[in-house]
Amino acid sequence: MAEVRYEAASRIYPGSEIPAVNKLDLDISNGELLVLVGPSGSGKSTALRMLAGLETVNEGSIHINDVDVTLKPPQDRDIAMVFQNYALYPSMTVGENMGFALKQAKVPKEERAAQVREAARILDLEPYLDRKPKNLSGGQRQRVAMGRAIVRSPQVFLMDEPLSNLDAKLRVQTRTELADLQARLGTTMVYVTHDQVEAMTMGHRVAVLKDGILQQVASPRELYRRPKNRFVAGFIGSPAMNLLDVDRTDGQFRIAGTTIELTDEMKAAASAVEGTTFGVGVRPEHLKFTSDGSGMAGEVVVVEALGSESFLHVKVQHEGRDELLVVHEAGDTDFGRGDNVTIAVTGPVHVFAPDGDSV
Amino acid sequence: MYVRPELVSSSQLTIVKGGIVMSNAVADSGQKSHADEVKRLERREGWKRRLPILPALIFTIVVTQIPFLFTLFYSLTDWRLDKPEPREFIGVENYGSLPGDKFFRDAAWISVQMTVMAVLLSLIVGTLLAILLDRKFFGQGFVRTLLITPFLVMPVVAGFMWKTQMFGATFGILNWILNLFGFESIEFATKYPLASVVVVLVWQWSPFMMLIVLAGLQGQDTSVLEAARVDGATSFGIFRQITFPQLRPFLELGTLLGAIYLIQVYDHIEVIVGGQPGAKNLPFYIAQRSIGGGNRFGLASSYSIIVVIASIIIANIGLRVLSGLLEDDS
Repeated sequence: MAEVRYEAASRIYPGSEIPAVNKLDLDISNGELLVLVGPSGSGKSTALRMLAGLETVNEGSIHINDVDVTLKPPQDRDIAMVFQNYALYPSMTVGENMGFALKQAKVPKEERAAQVREAARILDLEPYLDRKPKNLSGGQRQRVAMGRAIVRSPQVFLMDEPLSNLDAKLRVQTRTELADLQARLGTTMVYVTHDQVEAMTMGHRVAVLKDGILQQVASPRELYRRPKNRFVAGFIGSPAMNLLDVDRTDGQFRIAGTTIELTDEMKAAASAVEGTTFGVGVRPEHLKFTSDGSGMAGEVVVVEALGSESFLHVKVQHEGRDELLVVHEAGDTDFGRGDNVTIAVTGPVHVFAPDGDSV
Repeated sequence: MYVRPELVSSSQLTIVKGGIVMSNAVADSGQKSHADEVKRLERREGWKRRLPILPALIFTIVVTQIPFLFTLFYSLTDWRLDKPEPREFIGVENYGSLPGDKFFRDAAWISVQMTVMAVLLSLIVGTLLAILLDRKFFGQGFVRTLLITPFLVMPVVAGFMWKTQMFGATFGILNWILNLFGFESIEFATKYPLASVVVVLVWQWSPFMMLIVLAGLQGQDTSVLEAARVDGATSFGIFRQITFPQLRPFLELGTLLGAIYLIQVYDHIEVIVGGQPGAKNLPFYIAQRSIGGGNRFGLASSYSIIVVIASIIIANIGLRVLSGLLEDDS
């Protein structure tokens, strides 16, 4: 049970000018599951490792429960970490792996065994306690790594892409179990992933990082509805938001010749911003095909029919160049490749200033 | 169309011998069952794999196995060069005399002591060096190269170097240090012959052990070590509980490879202590008994056979360890 606070924490790797994590400010409240998400090289893993004490904090500080742990070694931080490759101790059995931290803390043998059994029961690992890690499947190894973390009842769980080595089906299943486990234990968890679906489904709040800089931290819904900048808008959501460069003419934005209707609020905000080339974004589910020929004209290029929903990639002529718009349709679709269609905007539109910030 | 004789089945071979052109044989094989064709291709694949190692195999047989058979034969004779009598076959009499032969027993005991001490000490020194090298520091590559050099020195050169420049009473560095502190000079090689040889062997073989252990250390998953740190283990605790168990196969491998080589040390003994008693191991004694002036080739051959059998036993255990090591990796 703990609060975690990053205060302008930076990590600059030796021999590099650019910080891997740049002045990160982040407050994580007690019992929260915070997801750090970003593309590779965004510094999300580094940020986690700084909290674990595995990376030096070059500037700023990190606090757990208002205690400054910036200079403390990992063993003095009362944290448990699950690694991407699980990092199980190969020469030890499952039981010994899970009891390792307790053994280091000189917990008596009987108590240790009891706690290991309890964790094994929670994770359905009881039959495997005497096996070596190499005799386990990927999913079982992942659970042992989880077990090793929960046996300790630490202040904070740190998860470094713990599901990325599982196959797709198991990943979805384990994702739910993990979120459920965190909710039951009520322990603060910091979870790193590159997978925005994982971030959206698991996180109470999600922190989006890019090039070591925190872009936005908000609840998944907030991130989806009100992305703070163009990067977040493009990163969150699957398939990604349709984002086009649009030249402002006469205070209006046109996609493929069709004027995009903005709320009065947005009009006012946009007119306060200098510049001509804006980013305009519409999510695939906020586009729909029209039957009366009005709207943006285009040609279907790819149809992704998933059964419950379909995504159609439509080529449109926009400001003299070809652009692809992804359109979402519930259920099956009647359109095929080569069909000429017209598209209308039905939902909220996002406008981003030339510097990428949302207006 | 040329077909290598070993690649065609016997039926095809008769066709070739009968002088019928190969196109017929090909047409013939076309009618053959699919299974036969697969078998033919597999056999061909097998030869493709075997043929390239054939020269090396023949060479090995010529230079090791044939002399070994001769030695085995000599060990069953009373052949000696200093008597003009013809060589006579005497069965296992040479072997029968071994247990009662004090010289053989002493040499065998020296062999055991020398091998065990040299292997264990070089393993300990090598492991310590490897642990020191398994961390990043400026000039790491340079230091590593320096540490390996003793292994690259020829055994005879190493022996001479240590004998005159380290152990020697007149020019030796060790005695110079002793004199600095007011002690009398010691003739190390004369007074402690076995220890002197072992010291030189350890100096030469520690780098070898270091390389093997270093490979083991660097093959470790760093995230496992990080996990142990997060789990609260101290540096020593990590080494004892995580690193050491993982190093075990590497230590076993080093022990066995070292033992196989060190059981047959000759050069160091010849150079450092010569014919003095106290450090004569079996190979040295074998040489002394035969080409070294003893001229009793029959008896010396029986000693050799004993050493070979001992080496084969060690090597077999070694191979089992090695295959275990490879299995663990997969």
